[in-house]
Amino acid sequence: MPFPFMTDIQTDIAAPNVQYAISAERVEMVFGSGDQAFKALKGIDLKILTGDIQLLMGPSGSGKTTLLSILGGILTPSGGSVSLLGQEITGLSRPKLAKFRLNHIGFIFQGFNLFPALTAAENVEAALNLKRVYGREARQEAWRLLEQVGLADKGDNLPQDLSGGQKQRVAIARSLAGKPRLLLADEPTAALDSQRGRIIIELLRKLAKEECCTVLMVTHDPRIIDLADRVVYVEDGMILPEAPSSFTHLV
Amino acid sequence: MVSIARKNLFQDLPRFIVAQAGIMFAVGLVTIQMGLLNGFTRSSSLLTDSSTADIWVASQELRYLDLTLPIPYERLEQARNVNGVEQAEALITQGSVWRYGISQIAPIRIVGFDPEGELFQPEPLIEGSWAELNNPYAIAIDRLDLTTLDVTGLGDTSEIGSFRTDVVAITSGIRSIVSSPFVFTSLNNATAFLNSPVAAPVSDPPVPPELQPESLITFVLVKARPDENLQQLKRRLEVALPDVMALTQDELADLTQDYWRQSTGVGFILGLGAVVGIIVGTVVVGQILYSSVSDHLREFGTLKAMGSSDWFIYRIILEQALWMAVLGYLPGMALCLGVGAWTLEAQAVQILIGPTTAVGVFVVTVAMCSGAAVFAIQKVTRLDPAVVFKSS
Ligand SMILES: Nc1ncnc2c1ncn2[C@@H]1O[C@H](COP(=O)(O)OP(=O)(O)O)[C@@H](O)[C@H]1O
Ligand SMILES: [Mg+2]
Repeated sequence: MPFPFMTDIQTDIAAPNVQYAISAERVEMVFGSGDQAFKALKGIDLKILTGDIQLLMGPSGSGKTTLLSILGGILTPSGGSVSLLGQEITGLSRPKLAKFRLNHIGFIFQGFNLFPALTAAENVEAALNLKRVYGREARQEAWRLLEQVGLADKGDNLPQDLSGGQKQRVAIARSLAGKPRLLLADEPTAALDSQRGRIIIELLRKLAKEECCTVLMVTHDPRIIDLADRVVYVEDGMILPEAPSSFTHLV
Repeated sequence: MVSIARKNLFQDLPRFIVAQAGIMFAVGLVTIQMGLLNGFTRSSSLLTDSSTADIWVASQELRYLDLTLPIPYERLEQARNVNGVEQAEALITQGSVWRYGISQIAPIRIVGFDPEGELFQPEPLIEGSWAELNNPYAIAIDRLDLTTLDVTGLGDTSEIGSFRTDVVAITSGIRSIVSSPFVFTSLNNATAFLNSPVAAPVSDPPVPPELQPESLITFVLVKARPDENLQQLKRRLEVALPDVMALTQDELADLTQDYWRQSTGVGFILGLGAVVGIIVGTVVVGQILYSSVSDHLREFGTLKAMGSSDWFIYRIILEQALWMAVLGYLPGMALCLGVGAWTLEAQAVQILIGPTTAVGVFVVTVAMCSGAAVFAIQKVTRLDPAVVFKSS
């Protein structure tokens, strides 16, 4: 086992090979209070099969990012419950949640969120450091991950010297550091043109399938729907029973 | 481990340089104030540095080194007869007036000692020799006082009391910040100068007479026998010699330093300067760290979203603070040592930077920088990792 530190949380998981990697019940989210209160999520029920590439689509402001943050254990919902990998996370303390994310979840962001002062390889290495892999082991693993995303020759470049697509590849390599079982991505192709976006998602799909990693991806981009195993649509804080016509005619 | 702290620090070079300049300024201010205080303290009891005595015997009225009443010369002989005394020598110190040019005067402090003795030796001597001080009206002054006393070098003359002096030796660096320039001479010469009225110098002056038992001196310097208990010897001296007070050399130095520190409030004034330095440094470092963290907020948020503990992030900020401390301290201290050497040469003000001061200032610098990191740390603590999903 390459990351023995993970064991302490994995033992908490009732069934390591649960059917649903993500399971949300009646999840609600209210921002603000009193007159200002705004209900961004209005009772979301969602189950995502282990190993699936799941897309989350919907118009801007519909609550996709909010839902993704809650399912990733970054935001605590106002109501309802969330289980990840068979573990109920809704009641966990902030440090426990952080540790859970550290050990099990990889994140990919629309804005890449790379450290501009670190080279591509160092960005990946820093994520490994965070997961308590250090020194030579971390360096080798960082370069191996970069090779996986096809950036072996760009490891020493700073983010400012990489194209958007290359930056997102670094971000994917970083998100895969420590072999997480869940990958959450918020509009990972929004900053890329559609062709490059598709290549990135194809890569992500391939790596996820190889590692048997469950992927939940928020996207605006209907042209990548065919790369997903399943798609759900969110509108106005609720999950739609079926694809709205605005999407179906694009597919 | 990838040093995010160091990389972040050097990424924005102009800001880094401003921060380092601020820290250097703070380090410089604190060090120089401390060095001045050390220099002042040391300088206020400077005469004791020229002595290898264990005990100083003085009038029981003594307040501190520069303020005491005379005692008769016979105390020297009496002290020599006290059990446990290996060696004793007389020392005279008293203020007088130096007259030079056409009716110009300057305050001086005459220091009469036994040039053949072993317990008092002003060092270093850079010109002339101590033996020549036995010549009538021969004196030694310090290189640093040449201008003040309008002396160009050996062989120059001036007037003290009713006598014309003759500069036969020059010392280097024996100047006290709380005292008039020292004029070193023999016990006989000193007594002759001090007993003579201020008048036009006599031509063909008599050879100064030997000291008599009732002649006045200021201190008896005592060297104890090896392994002698100094506190007991002090008591024996005070019993055997009428109306005297005996102090170890360290006690006299402390008494004198305490007196000057308290009467001048120098500790408070210089301390205030040091505190201002620390405040300025803290504000500069705090501001720089805060804005650096603000610039990298998205990355810190990313670390938090990825599941980093708060401590992982604090360590980055503290490491950054530590780098700033070290990289500000080193040039700051080097600058201070340079300034110290220069002022001693050019201004005769002693900025004394010893290892204790250097280490102390380093500790203060590290404390200042980590203290300043508190603001940045607070900002990161409050940071909601959900910011990472905000686009742009
Ligand atoms: N922290 C917040 N405070 C208040 N309102 C928020 C906050 N985050 C999101 N919202 C609101 O919740 C709604 C859903 O936002 P979001 O989940 O970002 O939508 P999407 O990602 O689908 O565009 C929006 O109306 C947004 O203004
Ligand atoms: Mg969004």
